[in-house]
Amino acid sequence: MLIFSGSSNKSLTQKIAKHLDIKVSPAEIFVFPDGEKRIRIQEKVLDKDCIIIQSASIPPDENYMELFIMIDALKRSGAKTIKTVIPYLGYQRQDHIFRDGEAVSLEVIAEILVKVGMTELFSFDLHSPKIPEVFSVPVKHLSALPLFAEKIKKDFNLDEIVLVSPDMGGIRRIKQVSEMLGNVPFATVEKNRDLANGAITDAGLTGDVRGKTAVIVDDMISTGITMVEAANLLIENGATKVFVFATHAVLAKYADKILQKSRIERVVVSDTIEVPLYSLFPKLEILSIAKIAADALK
Amino acid sequence: MATTQIDNSTFPNFVLLTGSANEPLAIKIAKLLKSPLNNPVSVFADGEIRIKIAPNLRRRHVFIIQPTCAPVNDHIVELLLMIDAAKRASSSEVIVVMPYFGYSRQDRKEMPRVPISSAVIASMIAHAGADRILTLDIHSEQEEGFIQQPWDNVYASYALTPAIKKKKLENLIVVSPDKGGVPRATFYQRLLGVGEMAIVYKERDLSANNQSEAMAMVGDVKNKNVLLIDDMIDAGGTIVHAANYLKEKGAKRIFAAATHGLFSGDALEKISKSALEKVIVTDSVLHRKEVVRNPKIEIVSVAPLLAEAIKRIETGDSISSLILR
Repeated sequence: MLIFSGSSNKSLTQKIAKHLDIKVSPAEIFVFPDGEKRIRIQEKVLDKDCIIIQSASIPPDENYMELFIMIDALKRSGAKTIKTVIPYLGYQRQDHIFRDGEAVSLEVIAEILVKVGMTELFSFDLHSPKIPEVFSVPVKHLSALPLFAEKIKKDFNLDEIVLVSPDMGGIRRIKQVSEMLGNVPFATVEKNRDLANGAITDAGLTGDVRGKTAVIVDDMISTGITMVEAANLLIENGATKVFVFATHAVLAKYADKILQKSRIERVVVSDTIEVPLYSLFPKLEILSIAKIAADALK
Repeated sequence: MATTQIDNSTFPNFVLLTGSANEPLAIKIAKLLKSPLNNPVSVFADGEIRIKIAPNLRRRHVFIIQPTCAPVNDHIVELLLMIDAAKRASSSEVIVVMPYFGYSRQDRKEMPRVPISSAVIASMIAHAGADRILTLDIHSEQEEGFIQQPWDNVYASYALTPAIKKKKLENLIVVSPDKGGVPRATFYQRLLGVGEMAIVYKERDLSANNQSEAMAMVGDVKNKNVLLIDDMIDAGGTIVHAANYLKEKGAKRIFAAATHGLFSGDALEKISKSALEKVIVTDSVLHRKEVVRNPKIEIVSVAPLLAEAIKRIETGDSISSLILR
C-alpha cells in the first residue's frame, strides 16, 4: 500500500501514514505562474494499491484539479486501486438544482473523479446522507462525531449541557451525538430565510437552554456568521455559555476574527481541513481524524 | 468579412454565454454578432463557484466563451459547471469556445508516471456535456483526438498576418524559436510571402521548469529583419533567448508574433531588456494592465475571427474555408 499527498493537507497525510505505519511516497507538485500544475509521481506504482489524501478546501478548484491529474498519473502508471481520501468534499452543498439555470456541481466533480480512476472515496461528515449516491464507486462516509462526543464527555458535566443544532438540517447529526452521550437533551435553532436574497428574516429556538451550557454541533464553519448568530440567540434565551464543535474548518473570509470576537467560549474543529497559520485564533482547538481515516483504510 | 451578424429572427436558437476568464473578448464577439451576452458566474465566500444561467436555453444552441487562462484551475471548473448547467437547462447543443486551452502543453507522457493533463481536461469537457469545441491555435492538433466530439481549431494567423504586413518590413526572415515550431513558421513564411526561414535550436532541461536556452541555429540572419513565430509566450524564456541569440548572429530588427501572450512571471521584464523590438500577440487571454501598457507589446483582436467561426458553426457553413492555408 502506497500513500500520496496532495498539497492541501500534508500534515493530515503524515498523521494517517503514521497510523498505517507506512511512509508517504514522494510526488512532485510544481505550480506554473498561471496556476497550471505539473505532477510527477516519484515511486513505481504498477500493480500497487494507492491512497491519495487531498482536501477540497479553499481554494477548491485548484485542489480538485490537482487531485484529478494526480489520479490520472497514478492510473496511467498502472496503479491497481486508487483509494481517494477527500476529508472535506468541496462543492457538496451544490448537490441539486435550487433554482433554474444552476449546475449540479457536485455531480460534475463526482463524475470526473470516477472517470479519471478513483476506485473508492473516503470522506467525512457529508452535508447530506444522500451524497454517496452521486458516486458510482464505493463511498465510506466517516465521521468526526465520535471524536467530539468523547471530548464533550471529558470536558463537560453532561447534566449541565444542552446540545444545539444551528439549523433544522442538522437535527439528524445532533440526535446522533445525543445518543452517543446517553441521550443528552438537545435544542434547534429555527431560521426563516428570504429565498430571494438569503437573509435571515427571523430566528427562534425549539428546546430549553436556560441555565445550561450550550454545545453547538455542526458539520462545518464557513463564514462563521451562522455560529455567531446562533450563539447570540442562545445567550438571549438564557444559555450560560456557548461552545462550538464542527468537523470542517472552512473558515472563509473573516471567520477567524468573527469567532474570536464572539461570545463563543471555544471552537473545536477537526483537521479534515488544514487551518492555515494566519487563520489560527486563541479560541480554536483542533482534534485529529487521522486515526479514524487510517482505521477505515486498513 | 461582410456580415458576421447573427440575425436573431433567422437564428432564434442562438445563445451566447461567457465565463469570467476573458469578458472583454466575449463582449467584442457579441458586438460583432449583434447578440446579447450573459455571464452566469458568481463565487461563494469559500471560493466555490456558483452558476445561474438566466435566459431560457430549452432547445437552444449555447456557445460558451471561456479561454482557460490564469487562474487556470478556476476557469476550467467554471467552464465545466457552465456546461453542466446549460445541459441541465435542456439546451440542444453546447459549443465550447476556448481560444486558449490551459494545460494544452501537458499533452504527452514526457517521462514515466506523469499525467496527460490536457487529455484529462478535454475528457472532462466532453463528459460534462459539450457537443463541440472551438479552439485557437491549440498547442498540438493531435489533442483533438482526445475526445470523440467534433473539434474545430482555427488559426490566429488570420489576425496576426495583417498586423505584421502593416509593418512593411523589408529583407525579412521568419524564424522558429524551437524545432517543434517549424511547421508554424513555414506556414507564416508562406502567408507573408517571405523567402527565407531559420530555426533556432534549444535544449530544454526537463529537470528545471520553464527554463530553456538557445543553443544553435540553422539558417542565416545576418543583416536581416527577423520575425520570430511561436504559439505562446509564457515566461518568455524561449523567445527572449532566441531574440538575443539572433542579435548576436547579426540580425537587424527583431520582432515576434505569438497567438497566446501569457507573459507570466518576469516575462515583461525579460522582454523589455531583450533585443526584441515588438511582440505581437492576440487577445485570446485576458491581459493584465502591465501587458497592455507595455510599449513593446502590441495586441490584435481575434474577436472577428472567432465571431465568424461561431457564426459558421451556427449556420452550418464551412469552417475550413475560414482557415487560411
